[in-house]
Amino acid sequence: MNDNGMSIPHLIMSASTVVQVVMLLLLVGSVLSWVVIFQRSLALSKAKREYADFEETFWSGVDLNELYRDIPDEEPRSGAEHIFKAGFREFNRLLPKTRNPQAVLEGVQRSMRVAWSREEDRLSRHLVFLATVASASPYIGLFGTVWGIMGAFQSLSLSQQATLATVAPWIAEALIATAMGLFAAIPAVIFYNRLSSEATRLLGRYEAFAEEFYAILHRNVQGRDTTSG
Amino acid sequence: MAEEVENSVKKGFKPHDNQDVGYVLPTLLAVGVHLLVLAISMISLPASNPESETSSVVQATLVSTETFTDQAQQVSEQQAALNAQQATEQEAETQAEQQRQRAQAEEAAAQEAEQQAAQDSQREVEREAALLAAEQEAQRRAEQAQQQAQQREEEAAVRAEEVEAQRQREAEAQQQREAEAKQEREAVEQRRREEEAQRQREAEAQQQREAEEQRRKEEEAERQREAEAQQQREAEAQQRREEEAQQQREAEEQRRREAAEAAEQAMQRQLAGEAEAAANAQQAQQAANSFTTIVRRAVEQAWLIPPGASDSLDAMLEIRLGPSGEILNISIVRSSGDTTFDRSAIQAVEHAAPFGELRDMPSEYQRDLRQFNLRFTPGDVR
Repeated sequence: MNDNGMSIPHLIMSASTVVQVVMLLLLVGSVLSWVVIFQRSLALSKAKREYADFEETFWSGVDLNELYRDIPDEEPRSGAEHIFKAGFREFNRLLPKTRNPQAVLEGVQRSMRVAWSREEDRLSRHLVFLATVASASPYIGLFGTVWGIMGAFQSLSLSQQATLATVAPWIAEALIATAMGLFAAIPAVIFYNRLSSEATRLLGRYEAFAEEFYAILHRNVQGRDTTSG
Repeated sequence: MAEEVENSVKKGFKPHDNQDVGYVLPTLLAVGVHLLVLAISMISLPASNPESETSSVVQATLVSTETFTDQAQQVSEQQAALNAQQATEQEAETQAEQQRQRAQAEEAAAQEAEQQAAQDSQREVEREAALLAAEQEAQRRAEQAQQQAQQREEEAAVRAEEVEAQRQREAEAQQQREAEAKQEREAVEQRRREEEAQRQREAEAQQQREAEEQRRKEEEAERQREAEAQQQREAEAQQRREEEAQQQREAEEQRRREAAEAAEQAMQRQLAGEAEAAANAQQAQQAANSFTTIVRRAVEQAWLIPPGASDSLDAMLEIRLGPSGEILNISIVRSSGDTTFDRSAIQAVEHAAPFGELRDMPSEYQRDLRQFNLRFTPGDVR
C-alpha cells in the first residue's frame, strides 16, 4: 500500500477520468509553456546580440547607402536593421517626390513606427500564452482537486468503514492535480515577467535607435534644404 | 505607388522567421525538463516513503489474551487493583468516588480470584500427591512381592537340603542295619552249622530271634514306608507351596498390569482433555483476535492524542462490555502519569463504543471477550 499504492504514477493512473483529463491538460500546458520559455529566451538573446552587432556597424562611420544595400531585401536579421531599412527606404522614395522636408520626415517616422510595432509584436509573441498558463493553471488544478475530493467523499459514503487509510489515496491523487497546476504555473509566471521585461527593454533600445536615426535623417534634410534653397 | 504599397503590404504580412528561433530545439528542451522532473520525483520517492509509514496511526495494543489464562488474569487484576489504588491517590480530587468504587469492585474480584486460585492450586497439589502416592505404593508392593518370593525360594531350598540329609542319614542307617543283619545271619548259620547239636536247643531262641528279626524287618519296612510317605507328603506340600506362590505371583502381576493400564488410561484421558482445551483456547484466541483488531481500529480512529503528549507515555485501560458491546466500565489499570493523556484514552474508548461486533462473535467466547485491556502508546506514532 505504502510502496505501490501511494506512488505518484500509480495515483495518476487510478484517478477518475475528469481528474485525468485535467492532469493531461496541465501537462500539455506545462510542456508548451516550457517550449515558449526556451524559444523566447533563445530568440531574445539572439535579438539582443544582433542588435549589439548592428549598432556597432551603424556607428562605425559606414556609409548609410552601403549599409542599406548590405541588408538583404527580404529578410533583415534584427529588429533594428528592420527599422533602419524601413526608414531609409521611405526616405529614399519620398525625397525625389516632394520638396517638403516635413512631409518626408513624417513619412519616415511613420514607416519606422510601423516597423517598430511589428518588432514589438514579434518580440512579445507567445508571451501572452505564458501569462495565460501562469494565471489559469492553478485554477485548473484546483478544479481537478475539488472534483477528485468530491469523488472521494461520494465513495466514502458508500464504504462501511471510513478509515484514514481508505480516504488517503483519494485525497492524494486529487491533490496531485493542484500540484501539477502549480508546477506549470510557477515557471510560467517567473519567465513571463523576465521575458516581457527583457522584450520591453529591447524595444526601448529599438526606439532609441529609431530616434537617433530620425535625427540623422532630419539633419540631412535640413542641410539639403539649405543647400537647395 | 500602388506597386510600392503592395510591396510594403506583402512585406508586412510576411513573417520574418529567420529572425526567430526554430521550435524544435525548445520543444526538445521542454520535454527534457519534464522528464528530468519526473525522474527526480521518482528518485526522491523512496526517501519520502518513511514519512508515509507514520500513517499507521496509533498503537493501541490489546492485551485481551490474558482473559483466557486464569492466573495471568488474576495477576493483572491484582495489579489493576493496586494501580487503581495508586490512581485514586493521584486523582483523588476529580474522580475519587468513582475510582474508589471501581477499586473496591476490583479488589473484590481480585480476592475472589485469589481464593479460586488457592483452591485450584490446592486441588492440583492434592492430585499430584495422590499420583505420587499411588506410584510409590505400587513400587513398594512390587518390592515386597519380590522380597517375599526370594524369601520363599530360600526357605524351599533349606527345606530341600534338610530332607536330603535326612534321607541320606536314613539310607546309611539302613545299610548298616542290613550289614549287621547279614553278619548276624552268617554268624547264626555258622553257629547252626557248627553247632547243629545246639540247634535244637537254640531253636526256640532262633525262633525267637527270627521272630525278632521279622519284627525288626517289619519295623524297618514300616519305618521305610513311613519315611517314604513323609517324603511324599513333604514333596506334595512343597509343590502346593510352589503353586500357591506362583498363583500369588500371577495375581500380583495381574494387579500390577491392571494398575499400569489404569494409569495409562488416566494419562490418555488427561492428554485428550489437554488437547481439547488447547483447541478451545486456539479457537477462542482467533475469535478474540478478530474482535480485538476491530476494537483496536475503532479506538485508534477515535483517539485524539493530546498535542503535548510525549512519546514515552503508556497507559493501560481495562474495559468491561455489556452483552451487546456497550461499555459498562472503563478503569485505568496503569496510568501514564499524565491525566490529560489518560482522559484522552478513556474518551477514545467512549467515542469508539459501542462495539456491536461482539454479537457476531461465537456465543461461547463472548463472555471472555467482554473484558479486556487496552494499551495506549503514542511513542511509535511520532
